[in-house]
Amino acid sequence: MSSATSGLDTSKFVPGTIVLPDVSNDPALKRENITISGSTPSTMLLGVGLIALVATIVGGAVVSKQHALASFHVGACTALAMSLGGLFFLQATSLTNAGWSATIRRLLENMASLAPICGVLAAITPILDFVVFKGSLFTWMNPEYSSDYLLSKKAIFFTPVFFFGRMGLYLVIWWYLSRVYVARSLEQDRTGDRSLSAKTRFTASWGMILTALSIAFCAFDWLMSFDFRFFSTMWGVYYFAGCAYSGIAALIIITQALRNRGLLKGVVTDEHYHDLGKLQFAFTVFWAYIAFSQYFLIWYSNIPEETAWYVARKQGGWEYLFYTLCFGHFLVPFLVLIFRDVKRKGTALTFMAGWAITMQVLDMIFIVRPMAAINEVEAQMALTNKHIWIDAAGAIAGIAIFFGLFWRVCASRPLVAVHDPRMAEALHHKNYV
Amino acid sequence: MTTLHPDKITADRLAGRARPATESMHDPVIGDGTLIDDPGVRPPLVLNGRTFGEVTDIVCGYAENAPPRWWLPAFMTAFGIAQLGGLFILYLVITGIGTWGLNNQVDWAWDITNFVFWIGIGHAGTLISAILCLFKQKWRTAINRSAEAMTIFAVICAATFPGIHIGRQWAAWMLFPIPNANQIWPNFRSPLLWDVFAVSTYATVSLLFWYMGMIPDLATLRDRADLRLRKMASGPILLPIVPVRVDAIRAYVYGFLSLGWRFSARHWHRYEVAYLVLAGISTPLVLSVHSIVSFDFATSIVPGWHTTIFPPYFVAGAIFGGFAMVLLLLIPARALYKNFADFVTLRHIENMAKIVLLTGMMVGFAYAMEFFIAWYGGNKFELDVFLQNRAQGPYAWAYWTMISCNVISPQIFWSKKMRTSTIAVFVVAFLVTIGMWFERFVIIVTSLHRAYLPGEWHMFWPTPVDIMIFVGSFGTFLTLFLLFMKFLPVFAISELKAVLPQASPHWDGYGHGHGHGHGHSNHDHSHANHANKEAH
Amino acid sequence: MSVAPLYVTESGRPLHGVLAEFANPADLVHAAEKVRDAGYTKWDCHSPFPVHGMEDAMGVKRTKLPLMAAVVGLSMACAGFGMQAWMNMDYHMVVQGKPYVAWEAFVPITFEIGILFTAFTTLIGMLALNGLPRHSHPLFSKDRFLACSDDAFFIAIEATDRRFDPAKTRELLRAAGAKSVELVEE
Repeated sequence: MSSATSGLDTSKFVPGTIVLPDVSNDPALKRENITISGSTPSTMLLGVGLIALVATIVGGAVVSKQHALASFHVGACTALAMSLGGLFFLQATSLTNAGWSATIRRLLENMASLAPICGVLAAITPILDFVVFKGSLFTWMNPEYSSDYLLSKKAIFFTPVFFFGRMGLYLVIWWYLSRVYVARSLEQDRTGDRSLSAKTRFTASWGMILTALSIAFCAFDWLMSFDFRFFSTMWGVYYFAGCAYSGIAALIIITQALRNRGLLKGVVTDEHYHDLGKLQFAFTVFWAYIAFSQYFLIWYSNIPEETAWYVARKQGGWEYLFYTLCFGHFLVPFLVLIFRDVKRKGTALTFMAGWAITMQVLDMIFIVRPMAAINEVEAQMALTNKHIWIDAAGAIAGIAIFFGLFWRVCASRPLVAVHDPRMAEALHHKNYV
Repeated sequence: MTTLHPDKITADRLAGRARPATESMHDPVIGDGTLIDDPGVRPPLVLNGRTFGEVTDIVCGYAENAPPRWWLPAFMTAFGIAQLGGLFILYLVITGIGTWGLNNQVDWAWDITNFVFWIGIGHAGTLISAILCLFKQKWRTAINRSAEAMTIFAVICAATFPGIHIGRQWAAWMLFPIPNANQIWPNFRSPLLWDVFAVSTYATVSLLFWYMGMIPDLATLRDRADLRLRKMASGPILLPIVPVRVDAIRAYVYGFLSLGWRFSARHWHRYEVAYLVLAGISTPLVLSVHSIVSFDFATSIVPGWHTTIFPPYFVAGAIFGGFAMVLLLLIPARALYKNFADFVTLRHIENMAKIVLLTGMMVGFAYAMEFFIAWYGGNKFELDVFLQNRAQGPYAWAYWTMISCNVISPQIFWSKKMRTSTIAVFVVAFLVTIGMWFERFVIIVTSLHRAYLPGEWHMFWPTPVDIMIFVGSFGTFLTLFLLFMKFLPVFAISELKAVLPQASPHWDGYGHGHGHGHGHSNHDHSHANHANKEAH
Repeated sequence: MSVAPLYVTESGRPLHGVLAEFANPADLVHAAEKVRDAGYTKWDCHSPFPVHGMEDAMGVKRTKLPLMAAVVGLSMACAGFGMQAWMNMDYHMVVQGKPYVAWEAFVPITFEIGILFTAFTTLIGMLALNGLPRHSHPLFSKDRFLACSDDAFFIAIEATDRRFDPAKTRELLRAAGAKSVELVEE
């Protein structure tokens, strides 16, 4: 008997109980198949990220600081969304005792461990805006608005101590949860102790609550509070939908990159792609559902304090972005990903994943960039789509830094948690229907 | 470990040796044997090492044998209550909507509360069938059939209420876009019309899904009746004067419904694909139906109704209430029917308790979000509805009932002991059902009874007609469910067989036994498969 | 196209084919692979539940059912949208300050109609492709075959198959591990 099954008290097993064998000696899990040698891609990506960051800063210096700050925030929030998506799927698969996902568990852990770093990236904008620019984007920081009636109603929420304290709390939550999951997983790599998976499952149960609350409130703080007048109870769910959507996309891209280097052969198979593709499809639809519901209810009720937010986004050139999201974020991927062959083919699926991340960026731009117009900080900014390069630079900065770090983390440890108790199921996973 | 495998049991059965009566285990840690939490073990989905034949015998037995002694009295009671409700509906139709406690201010009350309550319950079945199917949660096979049946019966109850609420019930056809002499069309921008389409689509698709899942099992019932007829071992003659055997009727009716299904692998392939497609479209359908119900409220500008989280919040609430109702039905059935607990194991109960906990917290998240945004939004009326009226107003007791039943009571499920105690689970499920009814009551009545002008303020109290029609809907629901338990396959027989360990072509338990279904033999076999395909 | 020879049993009735019983799913899958490799086309397996991996073992092509459902569903959704737009244009009603054709408000019903017709297409399409409903089938004449809905596993090869030969086909099935092989009359 191997280590995963030894120590089981089989006397209590009733007929039909399936003992999953330890397959850590499976040829597919041999060392060279699941370890990255060299971190060139990581260095390159981080270099690209740095160049894009510099470009953004240059854009801020020569064109508009709001524009540059907003663009950087778009990139940071996209990166944060991807990493939080990883945290969510890591906990969800653990809570549901999923078998198929054992081979991609380590990749999810690596994504999740980036959440605090991406959180710091996303925290830069409000801090800069508060300290240096005095509310050029976050209008509630702007002294001009201090006597605003609506702001006075929610002043407690926007007390700097409370606001930045909350931010710190999110970072602590993400740092703590991802650290616990990764540490346990690495310990399991060494000891092969099954009970660590059970411990993680329990942590994930309350960790999921913290994750849900932190995602909702970080979305309020970092995205919704640009316009302190606007409010939507759906907002947290909306950002979560984007997290899951872009998180799965990032996972697909990194998996394909690893497979292209000849790694993970027989470990992450077309069957896993099929499931990842299904999740990508599901969250395409879920995002559409949430986004439509939010827009639709505000559109239908037509209450001024809410509608203003969408009115600003359906004119001044932003309406093109609105319709691009309708088609690009939902209709096109829906019609493409519905095909089984697309989901099972690495290249096609990776293309769709890249598409998904692009759409997540556009979604963030849709939220962040027109804020300036509503806030009347710089009126012509809404009307012009000039200097798109700054948006591109900001987005690329966030995404390249995310993938650069992702690769670096992947290179630092085996790509697969070989002692996952359900590895046998994952290796032989097959979608029968 | 050979004792783990049913082959010995099969041998015993073939040799005519009776099986020793199996005492259900009461181990504090593993309960009936399915509660193992070790991540390296997959507990059995069916207990007592049942064979294919035993699964058929047990499940078909529920439909073929005489019902338990309590069945007829229970049925008569439920049917009587349903009839009583029917009489009150008749009285309402003859007399008018004024017989309800509605008034000018509270023009939606119990009727719409009951509608949303029942339609919410009607979501668990399709959820179990569709979403759990997509997530490959194999434990769903034990509960999907009864949950789907429950869905359809709940939707029937739900559809009654808006149907009678329209006032001129004989003009209900005008809800549909039917060409008419007035040359008018329905207003497609009205949320209430979306409801008509959503609920009727949901009822139809749920029925198709349920029926399609039942085709193979109805064929099993047909074949058994047919076989008994052929062997002249048929059951009793229907009535002394009618020379028709019960089995002949069964063979005819089940045969008609099973459409000539002959368990062909080519058919199974298309059947499984069709099932997957139906699961795929039912999942967004489930979400859409309760979202559309929530649009009835959320598209308005009534404080307490207009909030964007309503669609997912209503869906989570529906799953919550629906699972509670599944538990309310299955826990007694587990105790009352023989061998029922072999299929609905303690692990099934525990899983459902976990889902109740999860969805209960989702609902709690939505309550909190509503409260928070009511404050954050800075709208005086919005905040007053929540803070002054719901939490402290004349219906505060309803609000706090809702909070304690929906948010607080499921919290005991953090304890494994509570999750696996059928009594605790039953009690919480009961509380949740009450809480979910009050949730809809709170949403509807507390928002309506105090509008912007205090001069319009009015209370709502139900009349006996309100109460009796609601009670009657429970009678209808139980009547239909009891009929289902008696005449249809209560479990998805073919799906249950498919999750037995011996159903896997790679299972090596027939000759010699090791418990794992995914050894290396599996791997080698699939290689052989590929080689074959290439040669082909 | 050559016509398969017609076989007649001793009782003078045309032969439908042979029916072989197997002990368990594993035997059924292995036997199916053999029959597939022998080049038969008009044959089928029968099992109380869908056996995993059977499609590969039998060489069954993936059904086009999802495509049918998607095409019908999407076109009916478009038709549903068109219906709403036309009806609201045909009968003008000014409500809620919304335009007559407000695509947002038409989304729910468009979606529901699409789903409804997808579901009908899926069920009816599945039955139609399976040739169901069907009143009777020669295999049902065998008492033993009815056990297929309980716990028995069968392979049936039809006599109209070009490669069918009463003796050789039976031999093939026996060699593939059949518990019993019998002839089925039309």
